[in-house]
Amino acid sequence: MIISPWLLGFFLLILGPIIASLYFSFTDYDLLSSPNWVGFDNYINILTNDPRFRQSLTVTLIFVFVSTPLKLIFALALAMLFNTGRKGTGFFTTIYYIPSIIGGSVAIAVVWRIIFGRNGAVNELLQSVGLSGTNWIGNPDTALSILILLIVWQFGSPMIIFLAGLRQIPTELYEAASVDGANRWQSFKGITIPMLTPVIFFNLIMQTIGGFMIFTQAYLITQGGPMDSTLFYALYLYEMAFEYLRMGYASAMAWILLVIIASITLLLFITSKKWVFYESEGGKS
Amino acid sequence: MRFRSVKGLLFVVLIMSLVFISACGGDGSNATNGNTTGSAGDGNNDGNGDTNETASSGDGEEEVTIRVAWWGGQERHEMTLDAIDLFEEEYPHITVEPEYTDWDGYWERLSTQGAGNNLPDVINMDNSRMTEYSSRDLLMDLQPLIDEGLINLDDVDDVYQDINVTEDGAVLAISLGANALGIIQNDDVLSEYGVTLEPGYTYEDLQEAMTQIASETDEEFFGFDLNNADFELFYIYARQHGQSVFNENADGLGFDEDILVSYFEFIQSNVNNGISPPHDVTMDYIDGGNSMTGEGTAAAAMAASNQIIGLAQTTDMELSLNLPPTLSAGENGNWIRPSMSFAISSSSEQQEASAAFIDFFTNSIEANEILQADRGVPISSEVRNHLADQVEGPVAQTFEYLELVEDYTSPADPLPPPGEGEVRGSFQRMVESLKYDMATPEDAAQQFMQEAESILQ
Repeated sequence: MIISPWLLGFFLLILGPIIASLYFSFTDYDLLSSPNWVGFDNYINILTNDPRFRQSLTVTLIFVFVSTPLKLIFALALAMLFNTGRKGTGFFTTIYYIPSIIGGSVAIAVVWRIIFGRNGAVNELLQSVGLSGTNWIGNPDTALSILILLIVWQFGSPMIIFLAGLRQIPTELYEAASVDGANRWQSFKGITIPMLTPVIFFNLIMQTIGGFMIFTQAYLITQGGPMDSTLFYALYLYEMAFEYLRMGYASAMAWILLVIIASITLLLFITSKKWVFYESEGGKS
Repeated sequence: MRFRSVKGLLFVVLIMSLVFISACGGDGSNATNGNTTGSAGDGNNDGNGDTNETASSGDGEEEVTIRVAWWGGQERHEMTLDAIDLFEEEYPHITVEPEYTDWDGYWERLSTQGAGNNLPDVINMDNSRMTEYSSRDLLMDLQPLIDEGLINLDDVDDVYQDINVTEDGAVLAISLGANALGIIQNDDVLSEYGVTLEPGYTYEDLQEAMTQIASETDEEFFGFDLNNADFELFYIYARQHGQSVFNENADGLGFDEDILVSYFEFIQSNVNNGISPPHDVTMDYIDGGNSMTGEGTAAAAMAASNQIIGLAQTTDMELSLNLPPTLSAGENGNWIRPSMSFAISSSSEQQEASAAFIDFFTNSIEANEILQADRGVPISSEVRNHLADQVEGPVAQTFEYLELVEDYTSPADPLPPPGEGEVRGSFQRMVESLKYDMATPEDAAQQFMQEAESILQ
């Protein structure tokens, strides 16, 4: 009884839309007229007859597999840096967290365009040392890298989580290691990383799932262009649903994405048994 | 144990994320509006003004509220709101709730409102989307309201309304103004190099003129800017060949492949010869605000005639309107376009008040003095003649241009079929690959025609 408000919210706001989108994915729903049942047509068309679906999936996979590890490395490196316990680190932590807060905003999109545009700061810098730049955002070979850079720059959330994880590691371990004559690299490899694996795993899952759903930055900066080189999955889905009013098709795309994300998450869970250590499991490390 | 709970948490996160994918709308403001509408400027205004002023009803008429939706930039919003204030003074029993946004956000919002059966009473319609909405019975037939005299079209020539009338005589919308495709040229640049584009100039003349300037200038010069209106110019190009983009039944294309190939050659060779901007430069200007023509880095740009009003405010250089290129030994391809219109949604319960509003926009001289022909040259001859003596600068240029265009027009094509948006998207993608030199005109034409036919089936 006590949780009935929560249940109501769950049915109305979560389960309802999920079931609705599953139903729409088997119809030709166009937002404006009533849906007609078309069976598996949407799914068949997406998987066999849509080069832009393949393009968007490729772009998204490249993006996820490149940006996620980079982001985690950056986040961990910065967290290690701030984990000294010195005064003032809180201030710097905040500074480095700011990009994550403002990263999805129009202002940042504009700044990014100004920096990497034809006459942008990056090109002026290159020209001053005698190199010729390119229009980074308008070049199909470089546009995706620029977006990856933007996302990696927003490493604030995993950094904060890493920082919390680092503070959990008992200092006795490091003391014991230094008594045994371990250098910093050895204690990093032998203590920090194994002790952090649950946190690394958590961040990896979160960032991977988040990576698949990147939308705002690309929508604001490139709109999927040039030449569909930054056509992320969510962007293409949005275009189909709201620009071309093909909601049925877009719903089917959403379910295909769910299956892809679920498979990759499952894969990560299966492999995690090999490299994630929990204290409760005893001293495997 | 902890592992289990993390796992559980993650799957909840997964489910939540699905909900976000499947049920997440967005609001943004990209500007891929292919200039069909001539939104003057491109204000990134995503506001939804909810000014609920209760009108004092003095004449015992029933108090009603109507919702009116339109798209545009900041200046258009302000002018329209002023005109609405005037309307509410004149009809004290009607309260208008405005809903305005920029071009892109507009259509996303309208389609979701349509899905929720919650359309505004008066809807700003664009020709490219009209059939999308009318084929689903979302727009009311206005003919009965015209017959009753609620919407007075006595001063309106047919040419301004033809496009909004279906074969069986239903009137889908009332045009808000007329415009025509043309080029906005930078007269300072042209005269500096002694170049003139006399009305009637051909595609070859245009290329020669641009080549001449490009060879003589030592500054950055991009020549002729298609301004994301590549598809619009092809409308004219096909018509100059006596064909059309869509066929009469609106279930397929209406032109021969070799015509598209020659048009694609025109686009690609211009970019390769440095007399049209490469695509990445065009992308830099996607947000509006400034333009190559305004800066003088281009000598001319494709545009809808009323766009000069917004563009002129961004530059001190002399701009003027001119005809698009003609085809030597071809036909007249241009047409006077009822640029955008007001329709009444079929679900509206306030038909009379909505009709009064549209009538006011069409015939009120005071309102049109405020609106300054920003949506195109007014369709009522009374209003038009009154304004013609008053307006100056770029607004006057649009009036003069429409008179000039008349000699180069042929009857308008019927409204494009639903799916026009998707066909346009495909066309622009082909144009992109041509400009990046990643496709030949033959391949691009073939691929576009295949994609378009399968969309239109």
